[in-house]
Amino acid sequence: MMKQYSDLEYLRLSKWQRFCHKLIAFFCAIPHAIASFFINIGKAVKSFFLKVAAEFKDIGLTFVQGDWKTKTSFLVMGFGNLANGQILRGVLFLLFEVVFIVYMIVAGGYWMSMLPSLGKQGPTTEYDPVYDTYKTFYHDNSFKILLYGVLTIFFIVAFIYTWRINVKQCKIIRDIKKRGGKLKSDKDDLRSMVDEQFYKTLLALPLTGILIFTVMPIVFMILVAFTNYDGAHNGYANNLFTWVGLDNFNTMLSWKGGAGGTQSYAATFGEILAWTLMWAFLATFTNYFLGMFVAMMINKKGIHLKKMWRTILVMTIAIPQFISLLYVSKMFARNGLINLALLDWGWIKEPLPFWEDATWARVSVVLINIWIGIPHLMLIATGILMNIPADLYESARIDGANAWQQYIKITLPYMLFITGPYLLTSFTGNMNNFNVIYLLTGGAPTNVAASGAAGSVGHTDLLITWLFKITTGAESQYYLASVVGILVFVVVALISLVVYNVLPSIKNEEDFQ
Amino acid sequence: MNQTTEKRHMGLKALNRASNTAIYILLILISVIWLIPFIFIVLQSFRVESTYQVGYVIPHQWGLKNYINLWNSDFKRWYLNTFIIALAAAVLTTIIQLCMSYTLSRFRFKMRGPLMRFMLILGMFPGMLTMIILYRVLADLGLTQANAVPGLILVSVASSGMGYYVSKGFFDTIPKSLDEAARVDGATRFQVLYKIILPLAKPIVIYTILTAFMGPWGDYVFARYVAMGTSAGYNVAVGMYSWLSADQIGSWYTTFCAGGVIVAVPVTILFLCLQKYYVEGVTGGAVKG
Amino acid sequence: MKKFLAIILALVMVFSLAACGGNGDDTAGGGKDTAGGGKDTSSGGSELAGTYDITIWCPDAAVSLTEAQVKQFNATNTMGITINATVQPVSEADAATNMVNDVSAGGDLYFFAQDQLSRLIQAAALMKLGQGAADYVKNNNVASSLVAAKSGDDFFAYPLTADNGYFMYYDKSVIPEEDIDSLEKLVADCEAAGKNFSYELENAWYTAGFFFAAGCHSDWITDNDGKFISIDDDFNSDKGLIAAKGLQKIVTSKSYVNSSAADFASGSAVVVTGVWNYADIKAQLGDNFGVTDLPSFEVDGQSYHIGSYAGCKLLGVKPQEDAKKGAVVNQLAQYLTGKECSLQRAADPVEGKTPDGTAENGGLGWGPANLEARNDPAGTNPALAALEEQNKYSVSQPNIHGSWWDIAKVIATDIKTSDGSETALKAALQKYEDSIAAVFEMSDEVKNAWTVIGNIGGSNWDVDFEMTAEGDIWTSKDAFEMTTDSEFKVRQGKSWDVNYGANATLNGDNIKPEAAGTYKVQLNAATGEVTLLAQ
Repeated sequence: MMKQYSDLEYLRLSKWQRFCHKLIAFFCAIPHAIASFFINIGKAVKSFFLKVAAEFKDIGLTFVQGDWKTKTSFLVMGFGNLANGQILRGVLFLLFEVVFIVYMIVAGGYWMSMLPSLGKQGPTTEYDPVYDTYKTFYHDNSFKILLYGVLTIFFIVAFIYTWRINVKQCKIIRDIKKRGGKLKSDKDDLRSMVDEQFYKTLLALPLTGILIFTVMPIVFMILVAFTNYDGAHNGYANNLFTWVGLDNFNTMLSWKGGAGGTQSYAATFGEILAWTLMWAFLATFTNYFLGMFVAMMINKKGIHLKKMWRTILVMTIAIPQFISLLYVSKMFARNGLINLALLDWGWIKEPLPFWEDATWARVSVVLINIWIGIPHLMLIATGILMNIPADLYESARIDGANAWQQYIKITLPYMLFITGPYLLTSFTGNMNNFNVIYLLTGGAPTNVAASGAAGSVGHTDLLITWLFKITTGAESQYYLASVVGILVFVVVALISLVVYNVLPSIKNEEDFQ
Repeated sequence: MNQTTEKRHMGLKALNRASNTAIYILLILISVIWLIPFIFIVLQSFRVESTYQVGYVIPHQWGLKNYINLWNSDFKRWYLNTFIIALAAAVLTTIIQLCMSYTLSRFRFKMRGPLMRFMLILGMFPGMLTMIILYRVLADLGLTQANAVPGLILVSVASSGMGYYVSKGFFDTIPKSLDEAARVDGATRFQVLYKIILPLAKPIVIYTILTAFMGPWGDYVFARYVAMGTSAGYNVAVGMYSWLSADQIGSWYTTFCAGGVIVAVPVTILFLCLQKYYVEGVTGGAVKG
Repeated sequence: MKKFLAIILALVMVFSLAACGGNGDDTAGGGKDTAGGGKDTSSGGSELAGTYDITIWCPDAAVSLTEAQVKQFNATNTMGITINATVQPVSEADAATNMVNDVSAGGDLYFFAQDQLSRLIQAAALMKLGQGAADYVKNNNVASSLVAAKSGDDFFAYPLTADNGYFMYYDKSVIPEEDIDSLEKLVADCEAAGKNFSYELENAWYTAGFFFAAGCHSDWITDNDGKFISIDDDFNSDKGLIAAKGLQKIVTSKSYVNSSAADFASGSAVVVTGVWNYADIKAQLGDNFGVTDLPSFEVDGQSYHIGSYAGCKLLGVKPQEDAKKGAVVNQLAQYLTGKECSLQRAADPVEGKTPDGTAENGGLGWGPANLEARNDPAGTNPALAALEEQNKYSVSQPNIHGSWWDIAKVIATDIKTSDGSETALKAALQKYEDSIAAVFEMSDEVKNAWTVIGNIGGSNWDVDFEMTAEGDIWTSKDAFEMTTDSEFKVRQGKSWDVNYGANATLNGDNIKPEAAGTYKVQLNAATGEVTLLAQ
């Protein structure tokens, strides 16, 4: 199917050829990858069950072989530690258990019991004849049920995990005692927190934050995609919302247009996705090459005031985008400064439709994005260019290579190799570049064909701005936004997967150390 | 023979001079394009004869009226809010990101690989999605509306661990042999970090502080959501954005420009002063993450 | 040692849980708006007496005036009510969005534009007015504003202004007085002078004016919960075509700008907008300030005066859990929409304008909905006068479904980008109707139409087959292959509310053919008799 290279042959290839080779190899490997994916899933499931079985066996053994302290630990967490003088560990275990039990009785049980239905009674209003007003009674809150239901599940999992550790501890203590070893004292524990276990101390806070403010919201929003949560069912003030299974995915992925020939969601999604990808590609690579070009100009020997040129460009990074982009957007408006000036000078007869014509608007956002993006790239490129060993160029010059050849043979491959991961993140970053589009065009001009299916859609709308429009639109279709969000994730993940398998510089993380 | 070399040399020199001239012209052109919007904003912020958008740039009458207007509006409060958020975020985010990146760069533990992969996957979800739920969580904690400032700090700091890539890339470039030598000498891991790595990591620390400090000045969508119509909880972006709405732009446009100047000048100066570290951070870390 | 990580993680979670939602059973907790106060201070003598914390959301320009008006209320009310008001600057558009996002965090009283009414009712962000309050609204406000505050038979808000319409401002130095009544001449003048004509026609609120000019109608029916039952409009008709031709005249002009901002300083000579831009435009144009009703356009030798929507701004009350506080908020709302406050808002904002855009007299130039204030000469200014003139051609804005704006705004864009032929205009209108039909299948025509439904034509009681009418006789368009097992019925408006079965009975049994064959179905709608026509 494709030529297999030996190691030596492979090393002889140019960077570009290696890249192509990898790319082809990647696509050739897809069928095999899919097959092995499923095989691996099978294996993983099997090993998971084996592991679970082993855990249970271990727990059982610990119980059977354990003394009364161990057996008590099964009910009263940390008892084994306490009884063996490890006060700190024991107290923490015990405290955790008490908090867990109290929480489950006071609140957790309620949230868990409501989770399957997401609430039984919506709000009611009642006329109050004394005051001649309508009084509102609020009851269940689907939103909170889902939120705290998810948190409670997290908590239960954490409890089971901790309980398992608690059991393991008893076994460890027993083993150490059997060997006649010395148990770790509280002091040892504390000391190890800044030494060999230092990483746990360091990670505790950041990971807690990520768990609560990133993981939990994402889990929540994924679940929302399976409910009918929207403006008309906001879960508390007007109606409860409830589970609807895969309905929302059916709506979004159906090619069937609405009655009367309006465009289907799938077609609209496809259209916006196409532009999103085109935008991400253009935005990334225009910035990349132009930024590199500017950096090379400034770096060229014999160009003075290097620092000044850089500083001027860098100002766009420093100034908050909501100021610069909003201002520029007004400048390019139909009755903005640019059009007025050009009209005044007689260069044009009628205003240029920067934001009114689909093609104009798309070109304009890409161009203005260059204005925003070049400085950043210029900085990165400057740093890398300086690191390219000068003797490479020297020997190239002796071989008679001109500037262009030097660029193609040395500068570009070097840059591409080093910035491969950066290019990927900036591509996916651009796919989700909310600010530039929102502040410049707000999605305008209107996409006549696509509008109507899910509110107003514009020609410069990216998936991310569309998602925003869906949530803030007349219907506040949060569930649909969740579906779009999940699809965005799928697209980004697919692209990343492909690129990761092709790019050499990402995999070998250790090479840089 | 000698003569031809000389000639080629001369030719090269001329070519070089020509290309340098071309480059200068290009650079001047680029500088103009890059600076124009900012110069315009500054000029318009001093225009006092009218408050709306006009077709010319240089004010007919100069004055500080827009800045006085700014002083009399809620802008002071918004500015203070943003400043507090930026400061707190700068300190806390830096601590968290350094913890995260140092750990992932230096320690090899069982969950390291899965953890990094997991965070990579998390990062692929559009953050926009989680806005609604984060708002609700903050609302339940009482950290919205007038209390939006601590709320915004909490959210931006809590999830900042996700952005460890740049500084991890930087730590990766510090040789591990340094750590090992110190460990052999009996230093604990904590001492290694505190006494050896941190001093070397000065550029990345400053880079992290700088980016964390600059972020909140442009935060709009989520900040607006959290403030939920309470002026006391606005940051500058949310407050000033409302001046550009259709029914206000006529009276507030020049004030917006003045506000833009007040926001941009300190941040820009700070940025330019620390530019060196920023460049080091970006080039040292960003591309190797 | 894993346990440390696990324990710390879990502990943090416990605390956050305890802080967030510890009171799991207390599901009736109503957010943060504990009915601040409501303690009886027995001094007032009324059962409403007491001190109340109330949040008011109003546009930035109205903040100081509203604060002053609450003070007036505290000083003058005889019920012993003292209101401790927090007035927040929240634009009308933001107010609605914020309320929908989180009702419990919203303002107790808030200003909003009427097109948000049904969305707000649906989000349960508006308190239905009690009997007395409803009567107050009915008796004191201009009729056109009552439509706006109502859903079904119930009132949901207090009319605040009746000035949400649009008309034309122009620059007298560019536009000669004799041209202001003709769209064609205005466009020609602007083009000749190289000036812009600002008319936000890619916004359905403005587009609709052309259709009203040509005699089209657009009516909506809502129920008491703010839900839309149906739309009845005839934009896609011969009349609509006239409107489209009128629209074409301006949107294809090189002077056309899709904007309703005060654009005179940036190159416009004509701007179609409303009273809210009056002060800014007056400042921009000075002596060249001109304001009048909209012009007419000419199609096939006939002249059509451009119409408009006449809408309102409303004052909404957030639903309250405390009836007493609810009553107090309603009292305040009635005061704020009463004569005195309406006149204060109506005062001419141009006189004595301060640098920050607010008038010294607090005036905003908002046209009152309050009847007494409307009859008071103090309640007007040139812009309001022009609006009054335009109101002869305007249509009272009903409750309109949010999706309609998105669908209808495309008409002008479509016309602008089309090749301009009559076929293209018709296609644009057809597309509009199709899009509308996709969201609201219940236009009047559809509602009255009869359809055949059954296990016929390859369907299983899930497809309505169209019928065409000649008088009362409706015949199916398609012929169906039927067996003796086939069953069907005919129904009206694609719903089972009205349907005929066997033996011409309403809600009768399913109809079955006596013999297999290919039939068309025919219905006599007057008698309910269904016959099968063998093909």
